[in-house]
Amino acid sequence: MAAPSFDAIVVGSGITGGWAAKELCERGLKTLVLEAGRPIDPARDYVEHVPPWEMKFRGFGDRKALERDQFIQRHCYACNEYSGKFFVNDRENPYTFDADKPFHWIRGRQVGGKSIMWGRQVYRWSDLDFEANARDGFGVDWPIRYADIAPWYDYVEEFIGISGEALGLPQLPDGKFLPPMALNCAEQVVRDGVAKRFAPERVVTIGRVAILTAPHRGRAACHYCGPCERGCITHSYFNSIGVTLPVARATGRLTLRPYSVVHSVIYDEQRDRAAGVRVIDGQTHEPLEFRARIVFLCASTLESTRILLNSKGPRFPTGLANSSGELGRNLMDHAMGGGANGAIPGMEDRTVHGNRPNGIYVPRFRNVKTPSPDFLRGYGFQGGGGRGGWGRAASQPGFGAELKRALLKPGPWGFSFYGFGECLPRPTNYVELDPEKVDAWGVPALRIHCQWSDNERKLLHDMSVSAAEMLEAAGARDIQPFVDDNPPGLTIHEMGTARMGRDPKTSVLNAHNQCHDVKNLFVTDGACMASTACQNPSITYMALTARAAAYAVEAMKRHEL
Amino acid sequence: MNRRDLVRALGTAALLPPLSGLSPGRLAATGRRAHRRARSRDLQVLDPHQSETVATMAELIIPATDTPGARAAQVDRFIDLLLAEWATDDDRASFLAGLADVDARAHTAFGTDFLTATEAQRATLLTQLDTEAQERRTGKADAQPPFFQRMKFLTVYGYCTSEVGATAELHYQTIPGSYDACSELGRWRAGPGDY
Repeated sequence: MAAPSFDAIVVGSGITGGWAAKELCERGLKTLVLEAGRPIDPARDYVEHVPPWEMKFRGFGDRKALERDQFIQRHCYACNEYSGKFFVNDRENPYTFDADKPFHWIRGRQVGGKSIMWGRQVYRWSDLDFEANARDGFGVDWPIRYADIAPWYDYVEEFIGISGEALGLPQLPDGKFLPPMALNCAEQVVRDGVAKRFAPERVVTIGRVAILTAPHRGRAACHYCGPCERGCITHSYFNSIGVTLPVARATGRLTLRPYSVVHSVIYDEQRDRAAGVRVIDGQTHEPLEFRARIVFLCASTLESTRILLNSKGPRFPTGLANSSGELGRNLMDHAMGGGANGAIPGMEDRTVHGNRPNGIYVPRFRNVKTPSPDFLRGYGFQGGGGRGGWGRAASQPGFGAELKRALLKPGPWGFSFYGFGECLPRPTNYVELDPEKVDAWGVPALRIHCQWSDNERKLLHDMSVSAAEMLEAAGARDIQPFVDDNPPGLTIHEMGTARMGRDPKTSVLNAHNQCHDVKNLFVTDGACMASTACQNPSITYMALTARAAAYAVEAMKRHEL
Repeated sequence: MNRRDLVRALGTAALLPPLSGLSPGRLAATGRRAHRRARSRDLQVLDPHQSETVATMAELIIPATDTPGARAAQVDRFIDLLLAEWATDDDRASFLAGLADVDARAHTAFGTDFLTATEAQRATLLTQLDTEAQERRTGKADAQPPFFQRMKFLTVYGYCTSEVGATAELHYQTIPGSYDACSELGRWRAGPGDY
């Protein structure tokens, strides 16, 4: 029987797969979306409104099951008793790394992918970021600049709805924002204190998030229940299930096939084109093939690269579209976890009501105008302020009616800055196929080689210094600087391994996320990134995906593909 | 959400993603279901004497006042579940040893079990345990926290995440509906959440 044929195949249904599906379907292509994991039914699977007493361990999680089945995933803050089901089983999805170079690969395999439990922070890149590689010589120059992607930022942001505050900063371009969420009492104090001492260089603003603060395109505004990573029945934050995939489906041109583990891309040597993909059915383990005129890999940074590495043949013995030898190289992740905590005195008669699923942001200020002698590039801070709740009672002296009353008394105001720093692209951080290990579907596992360099360590240290300075400027007490020892991967901003570039000899993808070597094959997730900037990357993936899809369809119309 | 920075500082714990609930009507209904489930489950680790000791001690830590206390919240059952299905063997053994030590102390001081001691004697004993736990807290971080520190933590957590504690005492709200960033304390009924 001939393999089923489509105009386009999209591998993955998460943040980028959903966008590719929407754009390709809307532009007239009969599109097959292949998702490795199970389907998700929001009414059944979302758990954001389940009260704690309905959970067996009241939120502690099933320790034994986590240690057995999710020994990597459990390191992610969102892999808890509620949303742990949106993270993979580590026994079914193995990978390897050198013992002295741990890498935490956090993954979601289900319709919606990691868009269900992503952090929702949305920050545009600027030319400070797109020119960084060219400026200091790490990595290869990006083949695009801000002007190339700006209209696509506009396009995706307008569609998904972003709330935030416009600042007019050149290093963090504004979008078209819905009303910003409010800074709480402590955050206002810190904002003002930082402005007084550090303006205009350092700015404390509310996080820019893909969460609606007003009704938008038929979706309701946030109701401030809090834990977005458990799902959102009102679709008030962006995920592909609630926002992009329904639009793709409405065209009548979408076929979404869950339980479809993509094994490799089929390469037609005679036509020098991708012909389709080989799939292993996730439930029956039956091998299948699907054909299409174009293929979009949107499987997540390392999954897309793994598929390419596993698509070997006579023409491409080290992996499909790898004539440059760059496939798998230059793995990056944001260096996360330098910062400081402090207590903000006063305001004891004030509190917050509602659970704002967002914090503050401090846009990059290092190496923007004045060069820092110690390190290249820079970092931004997230974090926020608040008052402790009933959890404090457990460590207070005493018991009885007085302790019970203390449950209702909020603690002092506290504030934390938590830094996210840029990671340099370096070829010595790379992935390859493990020669022995395979996953539960027989697909070769990845072997990951990744570690921080001195530059990232210096950024992390500087974060702790500058965060403490800002707390001091805000009048904070008990200031505690810190540098967390987080392994790469845990920030879940893994990028690179199939980078974009101008030269086919030194990059895998061109300026339109199209493989230099295989013209009808596109990679639009984090694998394409030539550098990391310090901003959360998902909105850039979305913009690049929409842009690549438009380019692909135009190229098909011109009969180039 | 902003990752572990918010987990780090107790001071910002209010920003932790809270556990959430349902509309008030459904909330009560599901809570009743959960409690039926809890009641129907037999204790797995604690024997009747141990479980009654835990329940009594928990009620002393969070007593019934104008709202129900830890006993009504069935904190003893929650602790039994954690001991049976969550704790490591070492943790379970050390908790049970701590529980036995409470009786041993009661015998030494008053010639009786904790349960058969007078109210005043129990209070004396708990004050002693609490003082010791507080003293050890101020020292270096122990690998094994004192029994009473753990008992108090489990009582507070078990109570505040129970339907009775969360709703009757803390006025836990599933869907606040709005965010008031800097409001007058007491304007909203819901207590400060650490869910």
